[in-house]
Amino acid sequence: MTLTVTGLSATRSGRTILHPTSLDINPRERIGIVGASGSGKSTLGHALIDDLRQQGHSVAHVPQSPDEALDPLRSMAFHWREAEEALGLHAGQADRDGLFRALKIEGGDLRKRPWGWSRGMQQRFVIAMALIGAPDLIALDEPTSALDPVVAAATMELLSGVLDGKNTAMVLITHDLGLAALRVDRLLVMEAARLVEQGATEDILERPETQAAQALSAHRNWMALPC
Amino acid sequence: MLTISELMVKRGPRVTLADISFTLPAGKTLAVVGESGAGKSTLIAAILGLLKPSFGEIAWNGAPTRDASPALVMQEPRAAFNPTMTLHRSIMEPVVAQNINLAVGRLERLCAGLELPLDLLDRRPDQVSIGQAQRAGILRALLASPPLVLFDEPLSALDAVTQKHTARLIADLQAEEGFSALIVTHDLGYAVAHGDQIAVLNAGRIEEIADAQDFALNPQSEYCRTLRDAAIALGALGAVA
Repeated sequence: MTLTVTGLSATRSGRTILHPTSLDINPRERIGIVGASGSGKSTLGHALIDDLRQQGHSVAHVPQSPDEALDPLRSMAFHWREAEEALGLHAGQADRDGLFRALKIEGGDLRKRPWGWSRGMQQRFVIAMALIGAPDLIALDEPTSALDPVVAAATMELLSGVLDGKNTAMVLITHDLGLAALRVDRLLVMEAARLVEQGATEDILERPETQAAQALSAHRNWMALPC
Repeated sequence: MLTISELMVKRGPRVTLADISFTLPAGKTLAVVGESGAGKSTLIAAILGLLKPSFGEIAWNGAPTRDASPALVMQEPRAAFNPTMTLHRSIMEPVVAQNINLAVGRLERLCAGLELPLDLLDRRPDQVSIGQAQRAGILRALLASPPLVLFDEPLSALDAVTQKHTARLIADLQAEEGFSALIVTHDLGYAVAHGDQIAVLNAGRIEEIADAQDFALNPQSEYCRTLRDAAIALGALGAVA
């Protein structure tokens, strides 16, 4: 089922932080929302999540840092149980072993609190929680910026593998077009609280039209290596 | 020239840096990369003289590094400034405290090089963008013309486009001013693009030290290959077939 939002907008203290934006997301589609700091990409992400939830779709959200998702005073088992309950599942009904295996965190001790796990494992635990109940959409807001590059690269690769073959669509919100370009089919470019350009990833990389897309595209890598 | 030989630093009973030896020639850039906990920030603290080596030596042209008054650019630009003071006051404080005579027009010239409008310095750190705050941090570090500047993750709080812009400005100023730069970063893409040499720290030891371009094309150890491949998988380094 295609997810559709129409005329999303947002204001804060009288200032428009998101101009009216409409969007269709197909099942399995992988979309990147890119833009500079303050361009409104996270605002669009949040408005999108709220609107789709109000329409009755299941949308999972993975925040930038696992600290935002996990209570330091609760065990990992408690978080998992709470996530199951939120979806109306019985304890143990979710395919925890399958998700943990796919995200390579099967060795994690669920009796421990979040800080007993490494940050990379915490982030993958949050992604596993987000994927309980096969949501229509998983939205990830800068999912790698709190992680070391090696861990971040592995996390993106594992996430990609888990989503293969599922109907869940993905929205990746990032300032980093280099990262998005490798992971999404379609790009939405934000600037000054507006969606200024969208299109297939290749088109935006090769023929960016707006200044924002041109800047992102020109600065997507530090340098290119012949390998 | 910065010379470090056989440096070992202990924190309590734990050895955080061991057997670190390298030289950083005047005007050149050494990028130190490694994962969290590899000892990157400990190295900076040791060079600044904030941590005493348990063994080995750190010297600038044969004298203690303190004599060279190395400057530091910090990771979190806004947190690096006193939030109650204007940027101008924060920037001038060390100059006034140490009674340094600045050349006429020095502040204006650096501001122009960093693309910082002078009147922006009358604002407090929360009234400017993060990119502008970081450029003000670089301004403060460079004002007294230090021969050695240490950068601790100078770009990680900035967005991708601002990162490349700021890196360009740092490189241009370095070419003009001739300081040596030691840049600590987890971003191998930045290290390769702007370092003359790259040192990879792993668990407190130097895993590999090499010319930046050679390193990117042909990392020697398994660990360094993993780092390089992660940078490619994250789009920090583009791969051309």
